[in-house]
Amino acid sequence: MKFIDPHIHVTSRTTDDYEAMAAAGVAAIIEPAFWLGQPRTNIGSFQDYFSSLVGFEKFRAAQFGIRHYCTIGLNSKEANNEALAEQVMELMPLFLAKENVVAVGEIGFDDMTAAEEKYLRIQLEMAKEVNLPILIHTPHRNKKQGTYRSMDIIEEHEIPPHMVVIDHNNEETCEEVLRRGYWTAFTIYPKTKMGNERMVEVVKKYGAERIIIDSSADWGVSDPLAVPKTGNLMLERGIPQEHVELTCYKNALAAYGQSGQFEESDWLSPEPIDQRSLFEGNSVLRGGQTPRVDKPEDDRIIQ
Amino acid sequence: MSYTPIQLLENWILRQASDDGQAWLDTQREAVTTGEPKSLYMAFGFTPRKIGKADLQLTERDINDAAEARPGWQPQTWTIDQAARVLLLMSLPSEDDAAWFATIEKLFQTAEVREQICLYQALQLLPHQELFDDRLAEGIRTNIQTVFCAIAHCNPLPMELMQEPAWNQMVLKALFIGAALDPIEGLDQRVNPDLARMLIDFAHERRAAKRPIPVELWRVAAPFADEIALEDMKALYATGETLEKSAIALALVSTALDEADAILQTDPEIAKRAESGSITWREIAQQAYPS
Repeated sequence: MKFIDPHIHVTSRTTDDYEAMAAAGVAAIIEPAFWLGQPRTNIGSFQDYFSSLVGFEKFRAAQFGIRHYCTIGLNSKEANNEALAEQVMELMPLFLAKENVVAVGEIGFDDMTAAEEKYLRIQLEMAKEVNLPILIHTPHRNKKQGTYRSMDIIEEHEIPPHMVVIDHNNEETCEEVLRRGYWTAFTIYPKTKMGNERMVEVVKKYGAERIIIDSSADWGVSDPLAVPKTGNLMLERGIPQEHVELTCYKNALAAYGQSGQFEESDWLSPEPIDQRSLFEGNSVLRGGQTPRVDKPEDDRIIQ
Repeated sequence: MSYTPIQLLENWILRQASDDGQAWLDTQREAVTTGEPKSLYMAFGFTPRKIGKADLQLTERDINDAAEARPGWQPQTWTIDQAARVLLLMSLPSEDDAAWFATIEKLFQTAEVREQICLYQALQLLPHQELFDDRLAEGIRTNIQTVFCAIAHCNPLPMELMQEPAWNQMVLKALFIGAALDPIEGLDQRVNPDLARMLIDFAHERRAAKRPIPVELWRVAAPFADEIALEDMKALYATGETLEKSAIALALVSTALDEADAILQTDPEIAKRAESGSITWREIAQQAYPS
């Protein structure tokens, strides 16, 4: 079975993770622009980070047979540095139209400050202008209020719910998010957001329509195999395969496919290698390494 | 009659783009003429989605028109979005050269691979080209072969703008990363003793390590062949594959050295083909780097 992990911060992960993900059936991933664990102090850091999301990380994932997409946005925490946030708003138009950008995100609330709301609104308008889906990060603290407030603001901007993924839901928030018509995403992230046994129960209770499962794996203790592990657990616990396919693959495809930049054919029938668009010579392999050795050579000889 | 590059690009796009794509491009070009960088940045990014990414369909006539409009311009490898992006760049007001340069540099700094390829090829048609010699020298430091080739191949700017050290690095690096030399414009005109010295050393080092030597190297090294180069060429002419022998013969024929004649005589059949013009550097490059 094939999986999509529509929310994972692979820039923090190793090549071992990529190998394990590919082996577990992860065909495509989306990497939302996020916080690096410490605040960025100047616009150049954002510029280079965004460049890596649309450039080198996309290439690196491809080396392991995984299609990489991303979302571009100013995360909620860093919206509180308004001087820097203003510069990010000027930078974003340079990145929203890049080829693997499938949404504006992840944006939303952290502390629920006025500055966070201001830049959320600006970015919602940007997404409308370029007709891209939106990925909403809901806060860890005061989650219920933060989630509802985010939806209220989206509705004030007259953005239809089918264009919006609300992420990091839990048992407390999902009913209202589903009721209002949004894509309702869950992060399987150990000890904090959602565990996969709880996830099985959510799908049993609410079904599979508009529910999306992701890992959000990043630089913290987290699991890049969260989506395949959850999919397999759902099957084991008697959830029908079609529901597993919807929550671990097809719903993400439908939601982010609205960008026009996220198509199944990209990974099911990839184009032949186009040497005009490869990062040749900039491989993740280091001098002399070969990606796969079918017949080991005499290792005493160094060519 | 002759055309300007803008007229040619417009004609090619008109021929190939959908009506919607064409209308979108017209609107964006109009917006870009206000000089507001955001209009250019957004339009530049969205061009492939609106215009498509097909190869430009060009005739022999188009290619001749291009060379007439801008000597050295070879749009054979261009795509339609590339052509449209260049039209957008050409719509940006350029009277204030500092502001204009800052806007273009911002695009370079944030470009993904296809955009970099487009920008490096676009420069040959843009104003203020003299501002970009550092950008070209920086560009060839890339590890991305496709970007390197957008600068080095089918592009007259390196020949026109690059200082000699950067030019020499570009030629040497092409050999290192497996890019052909033949598509480098001005290759034979800008041969110089320093470059030949580097190539002769490189060849000698490769031969000592029993590694293959890129056959096109001899085209650039031969005009300054010294004792070491002649010794290497002699050895390879005796033992090499046909392609290597042909390249060495052609290189030796281009020199007027007595030693060259002596080496050529050791395989008179290939020497004859090289002298008669039935071997060319273009064919050698095509065989060495089959596409």
